[in-house]
Amino acid sequence: MNPALFLHLMSIESRRLLSYRVDFWITMILTLIVQLVVIWALWTAIFAESGKDIVAGWDLQGILAYGVFVFLTGRVVRGGDLQMAVATEIYDGSLSRYLVYPCNYCFTKYAQQLGNIFPDIFQSVLMALLIIPFMESSSTVDLNLTGILMCLPSIFCAHLLFFMMGLIPQMVAFWADNVWSLSVMMRMVTMLIGGATFPLSLFPDSMQSILYMLPFRYLFEFPTLVLLGKVGFEEWITGIVSCLIWCGFFLLLLIPVWRRGTLRYTGVGI
Amino acid sequence: MIEVKNLRKVFRIHQKPPGLLASIRSLFHRQYVDKVAVAGADFSVGEGEIVGMIGANGAGKTTLVKMLSGIVHPTSGEARVLGYNPWEKHNDLRRQISLIMGQKAQLWWDLPGADCFELLREIYQIPRPEYESNLKRLTEMLQVEDELNTQIRRLSLGERMKMELIAALLHSPRVVYLDEPTIGLDITTQKAVRDFLLSYRQDHAPAMILTSHYMEDIERLCERIIIIREGELVYDGNLQRVIHEYAPYKQLTVHLNRAETAAVDKDYLDRIGEVMEEQAGTIVLRIPRNQVTSAAAEILRKFSVQDLSIADPEISEIIELIMGGKEKPQT
Repeated sequence: MNPALFLHLMSIESRRLLSYRVDFWITMILTLIVQLVVIWALWTAIFAESGKDIVAGWDLQGILAYGVFVFLTGRVVRGGDLQMAVATEIYDGSLSRYLVYPCNYCFTKYAQQLGNIFPDIFQSVLMALLIIPFMESSSTVDLNLTGILMCLPSIFCAHLLFFMMGLIPQMVAFWADNVWSLSVMMRMVTMLIGGATFPLSLFPDSMQSILYMLPFRYLFEFPTLVLLGKVGFEEWITGIVSCLIWCGFFLLLLIPVWRRGTLRYTGVGI
Repeated sequence: MIEVKNLRKVFRIHQKPPGLLASIRSLFHRQYVDKVAVAGADFSVGEGEIVGMIGANGAGKTTLVKMLSGIVHPTSGEARVLGYNPWEKHNDLRRQISLIMGQKAQLWWDLPGADCFELLREIYQIPRPEYESNLKRLTEMLQVEDELNTQIRRLSLGERMKMELIAALLHSPRVVYLDEPTIGLDITTQKAVRDFLLSYRQDHAPAMILTSHYMEDIERLCERIIIIREGELVYDGNLQRVIHEYAPYKQLTVHLNRAETAAVDKDYLDRIGEVMEEQAGTIVLRIPRNQVTSAAAEILRKFSVQDLSIADPEISEIIELIMGGKEKPQT
């Protein structure tokens, strides 16, 4: 795909989302309030109940910072509302137009997905600027410029991985009429074992060793730990490379699924 | 430009009987049936030719168009479009074809036409000067210059279809598939679309396949038609010739003086031809082509005739008969 088309698709998708002004502000304010209340109520109660100052390497302020930043980075990694777009296009036949255009469908969707995250980046930065002044210091996390700079490529890789992983269950729509439930289930599992709810260090040791071998941690936990200064430089490089290897793995998986899927495609809905 | 040989498509369709029990049963065991959508099509379309594809709903027209545009893979058979196999989805081919689907919006719903066209310019890599001159010409012809900055979803159906046409022809395709392009449009817009397509053909001489349920589309745009019945091509030939091949009769309409009407002997009329209508002094007869002149002369001799006309039956009537299963008469 030519870079001009890629940028054009990104730009159009961003403009489309930013044109819904009411939706933009309501989504931002409501999700932020709900998330903050949930994180604060949950972890304050857990720490009060346990009577400990440190739980699995986190103090209360540290885990609250994790909760806030995994939410903010996670919004960018998940990116807007394209999560069911591919399945919907297969289901209702809108995929047909992309099959006639001389461009790669998956690249088209990725460009749209990237364009989709700009409003999320904008909102996340705004939210971070609102919250950071009220955050108390923690002995277990260190939010600094190095962490922020290292976090940016981690988020980019996580976003790519999330996109690649999300495409395969959506392409099940070539074989099954309704994959909404599969996508929701995948999303819940991904959030849980990817660290979007709490750090993986809170899981039992035996589970942790399995979870660290899977790709999910690179989606939410890894970028957040990098941001909070809990990942060293070497571990960061290893994490980025591992994330990219997983992207390659899912790409290899994606190619035959797409080929077989388009063989079955009937373009119904036209 | 388009060559089709024994192209066949069979869909495997899940059967779902009515009722809750059947729904529960289908969770564990499903029944499928094979539906032949296209049963071995053979035809070709040349440069500058508009071929009308006619058939009842579900006859297989859209499936055929989808196969030729590379959307759907055939079960068997071959097709070459501009020398390419369409379902290999070669970009060189995709840059030269276009598909317009009257029942399905292809433009981006939330964007104004101008943004959609700009995006298509990038997709088809149309050089800027060529894009601007094409856009200007197409928008002027379809009279939508003032609507370019309106979101597609805010346009009327007619304006939206005009935008779809512009989007489909911006890159000057050499092969155009039009799947019911005038469906739901008012008469004025239908005419504008037809005039526009004729003018596009004059300028670019593309190969066009048009499917439509409106006979006026077919009569105005196509010299050649393909009639599909239950997946099978039952007629492929000149539009006018279909009358001679399938209707070896003409329609004779006689207006008699009121006083004469009562005196007409029914048995006499039945001997001349098949009486289609007889009321208030007007008689419509269906008469074999080779007997129509003598029949008209005899009627003029025998009755006091106010007016008499001889006409071919309506094309739509013939096509309806063919689609309904009428076989070509023996000659």
